[in-house]
Amino acid sequence: MADSGRSDPVVGVIVNPAAGRDIRRLTGGASVSDNYAKRRTAACVLAGLSLAREPVRAIVMPDASNLGQRIVDDAEDEAVSLLDMPVSGSAEDTRRAAEAFSSIADCVVVLGGDGTNRDVATGIGETPVVSVSTGTNNVVPTPMDGTVAGGAAGLVAAGAVDRSAVTYQHGTITAEIHGSAGSETVSGLATMGLLDRPFVGTRAVLDVSSFVCGVVSRASPAEIGISGVAGGLETHAPDSAGGIAMEFGDGGQTIRAMTVPGIVESVSIARWSRLAPGDPYTVEIDRGVVTADGEREYEVADASVSFIIADDGPRLVDVDAAFGAAAERGLFIDSS
Amino acid sequence: MSTDTSTSNVSGTESMTVREAIREAMREELARDEDVFLMGEDVGLFGGVFDVSDGLLADFSEDRIRDTPISEAGFLGAGVGAAATGSRPIVEIMFSDFLGVSMEQTMNQMAKMRYMFGGKTEMPITIRTTEGGGMGAASQHSGTVHTWFAHFPGLIAVAPGTPAAAKGLLKSAIRSNDPVFFFENKMIYEQTGEVPTDPDFTLPIGEASVERTGEDVTVIATQRLVGESLDAAEELSDQVSVEVIDLRSLYPLDTETIVASLEKTGRVVVADESPLSYGVHAEVVTRLVENGFYSLDAPPERVGVPDTHIPFSPSLEQEVLPDAADVTAAIERLA
Amino acid sequence: MVTIDIETDDGQREILRRMMLIRAFDNEAGDRFADGEIPGFVHLYIGEEAVGVGACSALEPDDYITSTHRGHGHCIAKGLETDKMMAELYGKREGYCNGKGGSMHIADVDAGMLGANGIVGAGPPLATGAALSAAQKGEDRVALAFFGDGAVAQGQVHEAINLASTWGLPAIFLVENNKFGEGTPVEKQHNLENLSETAEAYDIPGFTVNGMDVTAVYEAVEAARERAVNGDGPTFIEADTYRYRGHFEGDHQPYRDDDDIEAWQRRCPIDAFANRLVDAGVLTEDEVDELRAAAEAEIEDAAAFAENATDPDPSEAYEDMYDVSVPELSTYAGGSLRADGGSTTDQ
Repeated sequence: MADSGRSDPVVGVIVNPAAGRDIRRLTGGASVSDNYAKRRTAACVLAGLSLAREPVRAIVMPDASNLGQRIVDDAEDEAVSLLDMPVSGSAEDTRRAAEAFSSIADCVVVLGGDGTNRDVATGIGETPVVSVSTGTNNVVPTPMDGTVAGGAAGLVAAGAVDRSAVTYQHGTITAEIHGSAGSETVSGLATMGLLDRPFVGTRAVLDVSSFVCGVVSRASPAEIGISGVAGGLETHAPDSAGGIAMEFGDGGQTIRAMTVPGIVESVSIARWSRLAPGDPYTVEIDRGVVTADGEREYEVADASVSFIIADDGPRLVDVDAAFGAAAERGLFIDSS
Repeated sequence: MSTDTSTSNVSGTESMTVREAIREAMREELARDEDVFLMGEDVGLFGGVFDVSDGLLADFSEDRIRDTPISEAGFLGAGVGAAATGSRPIVEIMFSDFLGVSMEQTMNQMAKMRYMFGGKTEMPITIRTTEGGGMGAASQHSGTVHTWFAHFPGLIAVAPGTPAAAKGLLKSAIRSNDPVFFFENKMIYEQTGEVPTDPDFTLPIGEASVERTGEDVTVIATQRLVGESLDAAEELSDQVSVEVIDLRSLYPLDTETIVASLEKTGRVVVADESPLSYGVHAEVVTRLVENGFYSLDAPPERVGVPDTHIPFSPSLEQEVLPDAADVTAAIERLA
Repeated sequence: MVTIDIETDDGQREILRRMMLIRAFDNEAGDRFADGEIPGFVHLYIGEEAVGVGACSALEPDDYITSTHRGHGHCIAKGLETDKMMAELYGKREGYCNGKGGSMHIADVDAGMLGANGIVGAGPPLATGAALSAAQKGEDRVALAFFGDGAVAQGQVHEAINLASTWGLPAIFLVENNKFGEGTPVEKQHNLENLSETAEAYDIPGFTVNGMDVTAVYEAVEAARERAVNGDGPTFIEADTYRYRGHFEGDHQPYRDDDDIEAWQRRCPIDAFANRLVDAGVLTEDEVDELRAAAEAEIEDAAAFAENATDPDPSEAYEDMYDVSVPELSTYAGGSLRADGGSTTDQ
């Protein structure tokens, strides 16, 4: 890194090379997000940074697929560099990069799905995140052009807009598991649940009817998955305190929802309730799988699983608000 | 001219071209066995680039008269897989020059599966393809490559010279549980002859046919050169009595018939459109030497392409392609 | 009906047992090759057991598979008998191919196993053909091609997938990305990082699964099979896995570090699945040990069977070339080149 750039604002870029290639390309209507498209999106992010009118440095997460390296190489710009960190080829890379960016970056752009954002959340702290959807079944990240994401990140990183006014803090969910195989903690961002299936298998949640219960930190009928199911009962903004817990099954209400990309169906909810921050929602299960953000995460047997919602998630940039605030300040008008 | 050597009960004959004979053979076998299907480039809607399969799509479904992408390795390989799993595909390779594209599936899969698996699979596939120069198609659409396939263990190779042989051999090929390469010389599609109409008419693979009996010189010919040799024999009939054999089957090779003729005439011309070196000619002569050495009254003569490719310009093409004049010259050198 | 129902405890035990059987078979084959008892060369499947077993368990028994040079695991996963397999490795008459095929060509067409294959990329066209056959006959059958990451660079693999997708055939193309094509890392053979993205070129679903998790491969193949028999066409699956041994036994492996091997060994598909079944209460640790011991005992029996099996008679070299009797073979058998049996004088 050049010395002259030390004081320039920094935008971290996390591109998950594994996002968007799971089985939902077959079982649902999920779109394809190939590495070529991710590189093009990342190039647009880097181009968008210049909207901030001042030099912004970009640091890109390395990965086992060399996707990050190729993004840096393609940029041919000394203000774009690769984050210096060991690479494991797993989700650990995202967590490690988030932790590094929490101290060196002024804003982070994440290209990935809900799973990627969950990993980012573990270490990103208060650093604002612009979350672009390249994964599947996404609740947290939003589909948008990379240039728009880069533009917003540049404005936030450069301090052109008031960070607290254009960001909101997402909630988190934690599952405390006590089972025959010992104790474990699994965390999620928007949704967690328990499936009546024995194995994680291909990881993606393919069939909402096998849910035993679900806990969401946000709810809107516009979302896909169990936050959409919950949203059919009651809406709950991502930055509102607490969330909703649902017990799946007959005897209660039936909700029409978008459960998986390409699939609309009715889901039976036996009971549901609001869940306050810190209050555990506990379920006993013989054999099942804990899910987090649309993925099967952890197999359990003879287990007691307690889900707890907290309001300590990542600080996400409201992109429209960021552009609006910048426009109000006249930032887009060239001085003559 | 002798009649054919059909082993089946022949109820009657009809005059037809080689093209029609091949088409009728396919039509009859498609009707006879629902496991039979045809696939290849332009075999359906187009009717085959030489019209050989014209009309079959109307009589059978698209499933069974299957147009393929231009993808010889893919669809020939698929034919091998289909044959190993109970179907009886006829695969058309538009020009034999394209066989190179699909050679892996031929040499390492089709030819070897039965043997490598200890006899535990059948390989009932027929590969039809066109050979030969004479229409200005240049080097990549005019070759005669059948030697490669006759040489390669595990394959059967036939190359008929008459309409009757074309029909009878193709039907046998389709019914065979072995992989059979069926080589069609594209210049004789219009050649006519009497062909048995009995749907049970077949000709055994591995038998040559004496098409004209003679006493002085034997011409062992294939494909187009059968007709050319018959013309030459007729032309020379006042001076020399020429026996003409349609070899029909390149592998297995009918050693018995050609040796019997050698024993009668003592002089042999081998006429085949493949290049001269290391070819069908060499194998035929070797069989004769091994089994009829003491009957030879003169060194055998070979008529073929003089180890060049087939050039484009008509004058060059005619220069290298063997014909009746070359057969005549060879006979005259011997007689 | 799937071959093995993973939803049941019995099915889960059987899946574990088959993976153990593959591990034991290939360990034994490697040892006996090193001892000089097995001729030729052998390519071991150790580390990749979850792919073969996950896939074949989710297929129905009548379905077809094509295999690779690294085919022992596919054979065992498809239900072939280990004694006849080992006898084939030994080149014995009791082997699956009567000793004519060896390690690289074990086949049992009646069991739907269309052959291990010594040519990289040769299997997919055969699977397309088997799927074509099934479709033409109206059978409720699919054909699955196992092939390696190296084969993805082969032209005939492209042709096979194009044909199957164009014709909507009931085929499944399963890439075992074990990170090396022979002695060269996958990234030196493909510009594409995720081989499953290949599927986009054919407008068919393509996705990547954890090839070290038998449940992931199972679920992927079960879903792909359903798509195939519904007439929706082929699916391209990439199983992310790792080859613990060299390309062939005796490969000195200059292309990788021990650290990489050890990292993947910590993800051993057999141990991982066994531990999950213990955690779930399906098996006790003792029962896992018993299953493993039984698998090893079966393979020892198979090896003893192979050792005591019969060498083929030299005359068998002339058998199985053709369905029909070809005169050349009977003439040439034993060295004679003459149709009359070799008399050297005449007249």
